[in-house]
Amino acid sequence: MDEPSILTAGLTRRFGDLTAVEDVSLRVSPGQFFGFLGPNGAGKSTTIKMLTGLLAPTAGSIQILGMDMQKTPVEVKRKIGVVPEGMGLFVRLTGSEYLNFVGRMYGLSRPVAAERSDELLAFMQLADERKKLVADYSHGMQKKLALAAAVIHGPSILFLDEPFEGVDAIAANTLKAMLQRMAAHGATIFLTSHVLEIVERLCTHLAIINHGKLVAQGSLEELRAGVQASVGKIESKEVLTLEQIFLSTVGETRTNSELSWLE
Amino acid sequence: MNDAPQLSFAQLAAISRVRWLVFVHSLGSLRGQVELASRIVVGCIFALGAVGGGTGLGGAAWFFLSHGQASLLTILLWPVFVFWQVFPLMATAFTENLDSSNLIRFPLNYPSYFLIRLAFGALDPATILGSCWTLGIWIGITVASPKSFLAAGIVLVIFGVFNVVCSRTIFSWLERWLAHRRTREFMGIIFFLGILSLQLITPAMHRYGRGVRYEALRTASQVSPVQRVLPPGLAAEAIAQATRSHFVRSLGYFSLLCAFTLLALILLDLRLRKQYRGENLNAVEISKARRQTDASSHGRLGPNGPIASVLEKELRYLLRSGPMLFTLIVPAFMLLVVRNAAGNSFLAQRSEIALPLIGGYSLLLLTNLIYNNFGNDGSGVQLFYAAPVHFWQVIAGKNLSHALILLAELFIGAAALSAMNHPPTLAAIALTAAATFFALPINLAAGNLLSLYFPKRVDYAIFGRQRAAPATVLASFGIQLFVFAILAATWLLSDRLQKPWLVAGIFLPLILASLAGYAVSLRLADELANKRRDILLFELAKG
Repeated sequence: MDEPSILTAGLTRRFGDLTAVEDVSLRVSPGQFFGFLGPNGAGKSTTIKMLTGLLAPTAGSIQILGMDMQKTPVEVKRKIGVVPEGMGLFVRLTGSEYLNFVGRMYGLSRPVAAERSDELLAFMQLADERKKLVADYSHGMQKKLALAAAVIHGPSILFLDEPFEGVDAIAANTLKAMLQRMAAHGATIFLTSHVLEIVERLCTHLAIINHGKLVAQGSLEELRAGVQASVGKIESKEVLTLEQIFLSTVGETRTNSELSWLE
Repeated sequence: MNDAPQLSFAQLAAISRVRWLVFVHSLGSLRGQVELASRIVVGCIFALGAVGGGTGLGGAAWFFLSHGQASLLTILLWPVFVFWQVFPLMATAFTENLDSSNLIRFPLNYPSYFLIRLAFGALDPATILGSCWTLGIWIGITVASPKSFLAAGIVLVIFGVFNVVCSRTIFSWLERWLAHRRTREFMGIIFFLGILSLQLITPAMHRYGRGVRYEALRTASQVSPVQRVLPPGLAAEAIAQATRSHFVRSLGYFSLLCAFTLLALILLDLRLRKQYRGENLNAVEISKARRQTDASSHGRLGPNGPIASVLEKELRYLLRSGPMLFTLIVPAFMLLVVRNAAGNSFLAQRSEIALPLIGGYSLLLLTNLIYNNFGNDGSGVQLFYAAPVHFWQVIAGKNLSHALILLAELFIGAAALSAMNHPPTLAAIALTAAATFFALPINLAAGNLLSLYFPKRVDYAIFGRQRAAPATVLASFGIQLFVFAILAATWLLSDRLQKPWLVAGIFLPLILASLAGYAVSLRLADELANKRRDILLFELAKG
């Protein structure tokens, strides 16, 4: 059995009295396109921050490519790419300068960083904006730049927090193709998204978190079978969509409620 | 729309309540409490200005009228007018603006929107101070000439209304401009230059005193007819004519003042209507003008590695920050001011301490950078946690940039001294070097620790309100006081003993201790950065 790319055990994070993430044990295999879903405030971003070293867990362990995140953070970070929640951009640099800077922070030599920056800017259709300050980029352009920065060093695992938010359809297609190619070449993609259609199309494996606890984990087929069994549709020919799986798993019951004063 | 006035009142009340709630919620944090305390202090200063200015202007108005010089009221009304119009503009250049789209998303009709925008500036410091000063003038006029009570009151009320509307008009037109970051920076630079230029007035008066006074009087006589047909002059003339019982003439000047007020209202209306119809001031700048950045853009600074990368990034940030670039020229500029003001007395006699003084002054100017060295990174600080680098490397890169800036300051200062007097002596250079090697590492060490303990997000590309956290300001002040006290004591001792080289000898152990402190701060950096990770990311990466 392959060594997992990501392995967490009892991962917990508390903020004072609030437990944002509780006892999460994840297992993500190499080359998987892994979707991490949950309602707003469920603990997705907190989990991804812990997995990428942006937040220290209160309890539990994190193994990335067999390395302990707590004990060898620098070695782990060399192997991963991240698009964090706020994108983490330096807005007073130009797009080109920013990519060069990130490349060098990840240990690339100056010529290699420069070459990859140019390629990435062209790939993301940002080549015409290379001399523009990041502060003057639109939200979608900033998102593409953040994605470019996350892959500049060729990471083995890519963590993406809402990567398609604010990105136009053309760019989203380009990004999806790039991510699929990365996964096909053995990279592990770990993403959170609220766009369930995209997750359903891209991800082979999923985990669903609700109120800080992991409520489901497995391949899409496994999750589908589980939900069908639990709702008694095992004989039904109807194939459940990811949205139905998600709503059923997080126990959404208010979809039919109405506001009496709203006509 | 019968309920329009009621709706407008309800919306004004809602806006007031929101601002009150924001204020109350801010008191929940220590930072909010400290800021309240500082606002109270500033409020007291403004109150003093309002009462003192009002009393002074009132006294002057009384004096002019008592001596039959009512037309000289214009001397009082012009400064009030200029302050009323200029102060909000300076404050605008220094701060972010109200985004009109925040208002127009609500179901406001245009009169309500107009009233709210007009009321928005009604309680700003310029209006409060201007109103108090105008009230003072009115009281002065009334005491000197009780029969002018009503006429002066009406004229000054319209003068006040004109000032409020005019400042709103100028503000709203500039708002369109200042909504763009680059223009805001440009305006900031203009005002900063203006403030610096003011420093030169006194030295220039000292140096060219008589000539300037004559020129000023000549210019004043030339502009006098012009100023009389502008609002402050019109208000003064309207009052002056009323005190002389020339009511028709007074009415003429008053009508012109009303016409100016109406014109300002029309101009304001033009602008606000556009905003009301959905003009988006904060839209992304669509200008395709290319920035004058290095064509290769990849730079050629230093070797590879995180320290060099961070250093390069910091220097790029510096080059794009107007305010920070100005800090580079301020020491040399102040040298010019001091030289002009003091002639050749102190600095000429004790030229050996001029360079260390420039160094000390430069270090003071770098306080914000050194003591809040992640403040300018914003959400970019996440990269330092996500990237495979040690925090001490990041901090070392930043410290290196601070050291280079200080070196550049000293170099510019030495060049300025050479141009004005003579090149610094070897003893002065040794004294400066010793003082720098002691003061810089200890400041960097304390700055590194305080940057990790009390980070505060700032944008050094805009002017004003760019202070570090209050706790940092207080701590940095204490440390710098301690350092400068040691430096001063050492210098005084060597000066008394007439042995300038003694300073270097005394400094040797101090320098070693300072360097050791700096090394400790770097050694602690990774552990502290991990411990303070939540705070750093929360404070710097928040919206």
